[in-house]
Amino acid sequence: MGQPRVFLVDDHELILSGIRSELAGSVDLVGEADEVEAAIEMILERTPDVVLLDVHMPGGGGLAVLNAVSEKRPTIRFLALSVSDAAEDVISVIRAGARGYVTKNISGPDLLDAIYRVAAGDAVFSPRLAGFVLDAFSLEGVNLEAGDVDPELDQLTPRERQVLRLIARGYSYRDIGTELTISTKTVESHVSSVLRKLQLSNRHQLSHWASERHLN
Amino acid sequence: MALTTPPRAVIGTTYRPYRRGVENAILGGVCGGLAIRLGVKERTVRILFSLLALVAGLGVLLYMVLWLTRPRSGEDEAIGHRLLGRRRELHRVLIGLIAIFACLFVLLSHGLPNIGIYTWPLLLSLIAAFGVWRGASSDERRHLEELIKSAPIIGAPAARTRRSLWLRVILGVVLVFIGLRTLRHVNGYWGGTTPIFYGIILLVAGVLVLLAPWWLATLNDLSGERRARVRVEERANVAAHLHDSVLQTLTLIERAAGDETAVTRLARNQERELRQWLFEPDQDAQSGEGTFTSQLHALESEIENDYGVKVELVVVGDCASDADVLALVAAGREAAINAARWSDASSISVFAEVEPDAITLFVRDRGKGFDVDAVPHDRRGIALSIRQRMLQHGGTASLKSALEVGTEVQLCLPRKS
Repeated sequence: MGQPRVFLVDDHELILSGIRSELAGSVDLVGEADEVEAAIEMILERTPDVVLLDVHMPGGGGLAVLNAVSEKRPTIRFLALSVSDAAEDVISVIRAGARGYVTKNISGPDLLDAIYRVAAGDAVFSPRLAGFVLDAFSLEGVNLEAGDVDPELDQLTPRERQVLRLIARGYSYRDIGTELTISTKTVESHVSSVLRKLQLSNRHQLSHWASERHLN
Repeated sequence: MALTTPPRAVIGTTYRPYRRGVENAILGGVCGGLAIRLGVKERTVRILFSLLALVAGLGVLLYMVLWLTRPRSGEDEAIGHRLLGRRRELHRVLIGLIAIFACLFVLLSHGLPNIGIYTWPLLLSLIAAFGVWRGASSDERRHLEELIKSAPIIGAPAARTRRSLWLRVILGVVLVFIGLRTLRHVNGYWGGTTPIFYGIILLVAGVLVLLAPWWLATLNDLSGERRARVRVEERANVAAHLHDSVLQTLTLIERAAGDETAVTRLARNQERELRQWLFEPDQDAQSGEGTFTSQLHALESEIENDYGVKVELVVVGDCASDADVLALVAAGREAAINAARWSDASSISVFAEVEPDAITLFVRDRGKGFDVDAVPHDRRGIALSIRQRMLQHGGTASLKSALEVGTEVQLCLPRKS
């Protein structure tokens, strides 16, 4: 696979140009948009591999773009990019289908790494997102109705928990592989499976938890 | 013989808690919610309630009780629960209750015990209705206001046409007239409290019909005015905050334009402060006694300010602080300062997890690292501040480091309770 074809969506010109110069030469930039409507139209037309998506934009935000595009072109992958670490925002874009979430103060090489990872179909978890997931899937959620929990989707395996803890501690995927003596590919598959659970789990506390966290 | 209770959740059907409906609500959504819960048609439930209402008004009372005690779909709290939490509203409802019972008591003591069977349920329903009106969430309140406004005769749109005006006046006058007539019967052939009660109800209804449009108009004005005022205040608050913090920092950044570290520090500081203000507004209020999380946040800003190193802090769970937790934070602080000073890393990861039986704290940098065995055993930083401190409080500390890979300090504190 050559360079991934990347599309940028952000309503701040400064951020756009910053990202553009950081990524230039390393990926194939196929276009950019600074508003929701234009973004949807252009993404559908150009079908990039990865869309780098700002979460907060007027007119529905990144969520609107995600919803509109992923229905028609499920193969396009999204990496959410935001200044906000609020759990509500993070969880909602991930549940809408984004394959990863990074904050805007991420360094250039890290962002590039994240883009390549998403393009390859893997998931990208920032330490903070890992913390959120651990929190949301914590064992205190046992006040669920017994019949309501799908162990396949609503619980993390001990191994997944271990991997998430290491991500939260600032380990890279490769470090995690070394630490747990598994291959990087296995780490990636654990992370992808957590992502799948995060997206499909119907634990109602998940969104509930996020919005509550926002309130206090 | 022991009876085994069958499991509530049957495979194939999801358990749906009973909440009052929102989409299919006519009045309070009681019937709609019940229909959803039971999986029957809304009309069936409504007809049942109407029939029950004929039986001494029990349907009405049941409806009001459910309205008060069941949360609306999408809301956490039932209206009754909310009222109980709000002292002032509760007092008002109680005073209304006492007033009504006092009236009844006076009437009863006048030797008029003949209270119709509809009286008590209807009275209680009236009180409940008052409670609902006072305790409804702003969302539901809006729904109710809309409902009143679109009511056929008394509603505001009806006030506009001349025909409906006449209709309303006539209906109001007729109601008042019948009410007065009924009251006059008290000393006549009927006797009893029943006519008094219905007389008063008719009278009140008549006056309501006559005056409703004006009342609604003032209600609208008031709430509109209140909303506008709140908005203005909110805006002033935001403006003041932005001025105090963001504008000041921007000025400082402009002045320090040549100094890269100063600019970064200022920007990070401001970012953190703004984030805190936007997303964790209650943090300020709590920081008095300080939970584990808030202490870690303080630690984060301290390190970032003093050493110009970025701290990536992730906390899972939270707990109240005590001497042991303070020691853990202090040990973590020592580790973070060591990392900031010696590792040359540009960022430090701090991860804390509060579990039922233990608290763990990891401080990690990806800096130059050192050879653990080469450090003399009496070096104070690690030995005293970190390991000793943890041991004293029943915890453990361990350290991993490798040259050119980085250092990680792992702290673990078992929880007693």
